Amino acid sequence: MEKIDREEYKRDLFARLKDSLGLKREEECFGACLGDASWWILDNPTYTAQELKSAVAQTCVLQKHQRSKTSRPAKPLCLKSVAQTIKRARRTKRPETFVCPGLRHGFVYPIIQGDTIYGFIGVCYTKRDISARILGVFASFTDTVVREVQKEMELAKLYETIRPRAIALSTIHTLHRLLTSTLDLNELLPRIARLSLQVVRANRCSIKLLDSKRKVLLPKATVDMRERKTTLKKVRVGKWAPGRAAKFSRPVRGDRYLAVPLIDEDVIGVITVYDKIDNSRFNSFDQEIMTTLAEQAVIAIKNAQLYKEQERLTLGGIKSLAMVLRSRANGASVAPHASYLKIATMVGHMLHLNGQEIRNLEYAVLLHDAGQIVIPDEVLRKPEKLTIEEYDLVKEHPLRSVDIIRPIKALRSVIPILFHHHENYDGTGYPKKLRDGQIPIGARIMAVVGAFEAMVTRRAYRPAMSIDGAIEEIRLQSSKQFDPKVVEAFLKVIARRDIFSAVKKECYESQ
Amino acid sequence: MNLNEIIASDTHRKIILFFNENQSSIDTAKGVSTWIREERPKVKKALEDLVALNILNAYRATSTTGYSYTTDKKLISKIDKLLKK
Repeated sequence: MEKIDREEYKRDLFARLKDSLGLKREEECFGACLGDASWWILDNPTYTAQELKSAVAQTCVLQKHQRSKTSRPAKPLCLKSVAQTIKRARRTKRPETFVCPGLRHGFVYPIIQGDTIYGFIGVCYTKRDISARILGVFASFTDTVVREVQKEMELAKLYETIRPRAIALSTIHTLHRLLTSTLDLNELLPRIARLSLQVVRANRCSIKLLDSKRKVLLPKATVDMRERKTTLKKVRVGKWAPGRAAKFSRPVRGDRYLAVPLIDEDVIGVITVYDKIDNSRFNSFDQEIMTTLAEQAVIAIKNAQLYKEQERLTLGGIKSLAMVLRSRANGASVAPHASYLKIATMVGHMLHLNGQEIRNLEYAVLLHDAGQIVIPDEVLRKPEKLTIEEYDLVKEHPLRSVDIIRPIKALRSVIPILFHHHENYDGTGYPKKLRDGQIPIGARIMAVVGAFEAMVTRRAYRPAMSIDGAIEEIRLQSSKQFDPKVVEAFLKVIARRDIFSAVKKECYESQ
Repeated sequence: MNLNEIIASDTHRKIILFFNENQSSIDTAKGVSTWIREERPKVKKALEDLVALNILNAYRATSTTGYSYTTDKKLISKIDKLLKK
């Protein structure tokens, strides 16, 4: 193997030397003192006279001296002298001179480093005899050129070695950024699958997360580039490639599959890729890059799981707070109605709100009347018409809601919804009398859902309105009190049988 | 732009060559501009052109966009032929 490498190196060096600018410069420089000589370069010292003729002719690049109008073909008689001198130079490993039968002078210079001869440079048809001094300068110049070419080769090799690694490293860096940019598991897992397929150029990827109690891997995301229908199968730990990867906490590789465990402290799941696009086998490079990707994926998955858990805790806390506040208003501890939460989120999705905006909307639905806690009981439960002062007090509740929520940093982005959910689309609402687009979209949705909830709920000063009556009222207030786009989406949502039934059931239970 | 026009453009061609040679690579506009030694805005635009032609896939996240080579075997073979011309 080493011998093959050495031969390859010799061939490469010779090829580069032949085309090097350095050697052309050398020819130009020495042309001044050697006259209009013929230059050639050979790699194989064991040519026959015929082969030598052909080889010399092929390296005529050097022979075409700038000042020479025609390329001078090597003469057979001269070739004999050249062949003999090459043999001599090969033996002595030193430059050797010769004189042709035509009394022309020349020399053969072995390109040598240590004991290795990389080729020979020949010069013939020189004007005069070549002195040892000229040969010395020639040797030094050539040596510099050879070292220059060797440096160039080293750089090229370094470039060839480092560049793919640098590109791979850059890929890993990009993967890290792409994976850690989302905290939504539903978005993250398919993204991991697609990126895995990309880096190993495979057709199918499946991500399974471990249910450690049941010792089973549950399928969470599968992507198939061939658009085949794939069934999501559970896999027992220890069974099949993913099961074995989970059991032994190490990658399991076959010709057509590669299963890599997702390891935090323990195994939390397995990424498996199947069938390379070019039908080749999975190799150690694939395993290496998938292992690195899995390490990045674990961090992203754990972050997303923690975020989900924290979000669950926040929502739980808000629900409890909402229950307390509602009990104050209703005189009983009741949970906020799930159907209004669902209506609000569905309307939000229909109006293309993003994940964070939807979450804010959920929190707002739960807390929209939190500020009513500061309104005295006698006002809240007054069966008669409120006085102007009392109504002014009621109108302060969005501001009071904001005061209650403000210390909770996680709920800061809910504040605009709470503050503006009593603004009307036509600018007649409160507290700021904003109109249409000035009102935050979350507040416009909250206004419709909140009004609907208020209408179908019994109050001290009036009975509950029927669901159909409330829907009709919402419809009538489109473009007046409410944003018409929100009303349109709301009407579509409430028209769904499951939603209508849920609202009806909840209204009946709260009567 | 069609595939022939794309290949004729220097920046587009360099990007295609880069991804054709490094088919497992996923990189940002900044990364690609480093590898092909071109200005980032020019590269960014060319990358989006190539995404529109399905030659590249784009993975868009909030903080960055990663680009990778198509996995369509027929398209890759078509590009190979054009690059060899």
